[in-house]
Amino acid sequence: MVGEGPDGGAKAPPFRALETDLFFRPKVRVEDFEAAAMGHFPALYRTARLLAQETAEAEDLVQEVYLEAWKSFHRFETGTNCRAWLFKILFHRLHHFRRRWAKAAKVEGFERPEDQESIAAEPAVAHEIRDEEVLGALEKVPVEFREVVLLADVQEFSYKEIADTLKLPLGTVMSRLSRGRKLLRRELAAVASSYGIKPGKEQASTGESA
Amino acid sequence: MNVLTFDSKQCERIRRHLDAYLSNELLVETTSEILRHLETCAACTRELETRTQVRDLLRRAAMSQMPPEGLRLSIERRLRETRPGFWGGSRQLNWAVALAGIAVIVLGGMVAQEWVRAQRGRRIVAGVLALGVSDHIQCAIKGHNYPQVANPPEVLRKKLGPQYAGLLEVVHQNLPGFEVLEAHICSIPGSSRKYVHFITRGRGTILSVILTKNDGAQLPSGGAFRSVVAGNVNLYEAHEQGMNVAGFESRGYLGFVVSDLDREVTLQIADQLVPPLNAALQAAG
Repeated sequence: MVGEGPDGGAKAPPFRALETDLFFRPKVRVEDFEAAAMGHFPALYRTARLLAQETAEAEDLVQEVYLEAWKSFHRFETGTNCRAWLFKILFHRLHHFRRRWAKAAKVEGFERPEDQESIAAEPAVAHEIRDEEVLGALEKVPVEFREVVLLADVQEFSYKEIADTLKLPLGTVMSRLSRGRKLLRRELAAVASSYGIKPGKEQASTGESA
Repeated sequence: MNVLTFDSKQCERIRRHLDAYLSNELLVETTSEILRHLETCAACTRELETRTQVRDLLRRAAMSQMPPEGLRLSIERRLRETRPGFWGGSRQLNWAVALAGIAVIVLGGMVAQEWVRAQRGRRIVAGVLALGVSDHIQCAIKGHNYPQVANPPEVLRKKLGPQYAGLLEVVHQNLPGFEVLEAHICSIPGSSRKYVHFITRGRGTILSVILTKNDGAQLPSGGAFRSVVAGNVNLYEAHEQGMNVAGFESRGYLGFVVSDLDREVTLQIADQLVPPLNAALQAAG
């Protein structure tokens, strides 16, 4: 009685019109798309947010990704990896934007093979570092490396999937990941040392300040 | 940075693999080699811990970014306002193509059927109209059953008898440029069929107007076979034995206008004559 308002159950959402389309009755239903795709919304948003310049840009980006995915949903084969597909669209968009301003000049410098793995002790980082500081450090990592680190370490894509998503050779994925992680470690070490944490030593004195 | 001085070759090799190790991308053998090394190397163990720690910090920080719920809602709204591509997918396109195919087959079939029907219709028309042509040829052309000078109307009326005498005036009035030479009831040897025959002369030739009782012949209906609608009467035409004939049905009668004039001219003449003739036949009952 309470739930059944005069227009409560009867009101059909606008997409119903599609289902009654006589000749081109769509096979794809928005519910199916949402079931497959909306679960990845937080992951997509987070990735976009950490790669875009600002929040509004990330929001636009994610919205575009979903609309584009919906429009080509009929080409998506059910059972294949929807998350990978959505990320591919995301990066296609991102790279399209990025190409406009940042030419790859900067990246070249970072990728020089001179950057051999040194066995210099890596600076230790502290657990006390706050999320905002981590994100601040991440932001200092050039975006070409940042995206590989995010895909590997946060989204846990395989190298192969990352190469596929970013349209990069596998070797480039590996070198960028290695370089990106290293840059992030350095940035975080800088934050840690501002806390007075010395690299490579466990702190005995931190117990007093709490 | 402190440079580690011990076992540097081995450590260097292990550290090159640490990133892949962290991402679980190593072969089993390499992984066990690393594990063996870590058991004995504190520096590399610490290095791995640092890297794991950084990754975990990054994960935690990334997860702290809460996606705005409003954005999700706005996306879901937009999705419902947007049609999926290509009318909803290739399978629907195939469906459309299949429909188009069926339509082509059906329409093609209809066209073919219509063509067959038209052929049959034209044969029927020609068959019926051939009656008028043969009557014209038998009586007027071969039989030459008309005088050089027209019979006077009262003679013709008598020949026609009371039932058809009234038609003389109709024919006379509605055949401008033609002179009614003869009118009579013809009978065909060996047949019970009779016909009312007006033999006229004009435009340098002989033209017959023939009316005969219709015993069951039926001209096909449908616009494909009639040539003209004169008044409310359908006119049919045919070309037989060098003659052009326009024919029509009127209340139990078949009527023909036959001559060797052009088909256009024949139709024009019939177009003028047939409606009043039809009206007269209707009135006569």
